[in-house]
Amino acid sequence: MWIFLLSDAFSFGALLIAEGILYAGHKPWRQPGEPELGIGFTAVLTFILLCTSLTNVLAWAAAAGGRRKQAAQLLAITALGGAVFLVGQFQEWFGIWAPGLLHEGLVFGQSPRASTFFVITGYHGLHVLIGVAYILAILVGYVRGRVTERQIELLGLYWCFVDFVWVFVFSFVYLLPSLSGA
Amino acid sequence: MTDPEIGRARASSVGHVPAARERAPYLVAFAVLVALTLVEIGVVKSGGIPHRAAVVALIAIATAKAALIALFYMHLRYETRILKLTVLAPLVAPAVYGLLLMLDAAWRHMR
Repeated sequence: MWIFLLSDAFSFGALLIAEGILYAGHKPWRQPGEPELGIGFTAVLTFILLCTSLTNVLAWAAAAGGRRKQAAQLLAITALGGAVFLVGQFQEWFGIWAPGLLHEGLVFGQSPRASTFFVITGYHGLHVLIGVAYILAILVGYVRGRVTERQIELLGLYWCFVDFVWVFVFSFVYLLPSLSGA
Repeated sequence: MTDPEIGRARASSVGHVPAARERAPYLVAFAVLVALTLVEIGVVKSGGIPHRAAVVALIAIATAKAALIALFYMHLRYETRILKLTVLAPLVAPAVYGLLLMLDAAWRHMR
């Protein structure tokens, strides 16, 4: 799992470095008519993801301590948190209860800022989606007695890696460009 | 490295480490992560911090948060030294490349 996560980290690293190179060569980064990124909203999504990392590792601790019911409940909460994150990202992109970035003028392919934003957050969102499916599969297996504490630990490595990567995505895609008013 | 240590590295499980099953360190790490995220937001929203200092602060905070997640939630602090090095050493390469990129951008900006 660690080797897989390392290779995955390189793919995210490559995307963030590509964003950095494009950012350095394009002034202004935010093109006229493009919306600001919602840092407050994304901070809430970040908080949700941090909560799921906690519930995930507590699920493993519960499983390791033989508290099976608690472990299953915490895994379910983790999956729910991941799903909420995905709904939040869908809202951010397309809009559900408020206009999304696409509607507001951040269109893929029209600027380096838009393209890197959608590629990086989309790639991360895909990891979250796979993670939610992974958690649900492990949860079902655990309830049926086919999954061990060891497999929950491996799941935790993957899920916390998703959070690990999000720390850098949040900083490099949302926070750092906003210092220059992008 | 001794044979048992190699065995543990292969298994890469911390289930045998009693401290890893305690909840308190995870809750403390969570509180610190939330606090650091709030500091990040404060750095961006305050507007009174010099640009370069804000950039350095945000990168340092992100690195600290990632380290907390890797050490506590991904259990790296309980792993063997060889696994720690296996994970951390390759990550130095993109970090150095990113640093060079920022120095290059800063140099171009100063010209």
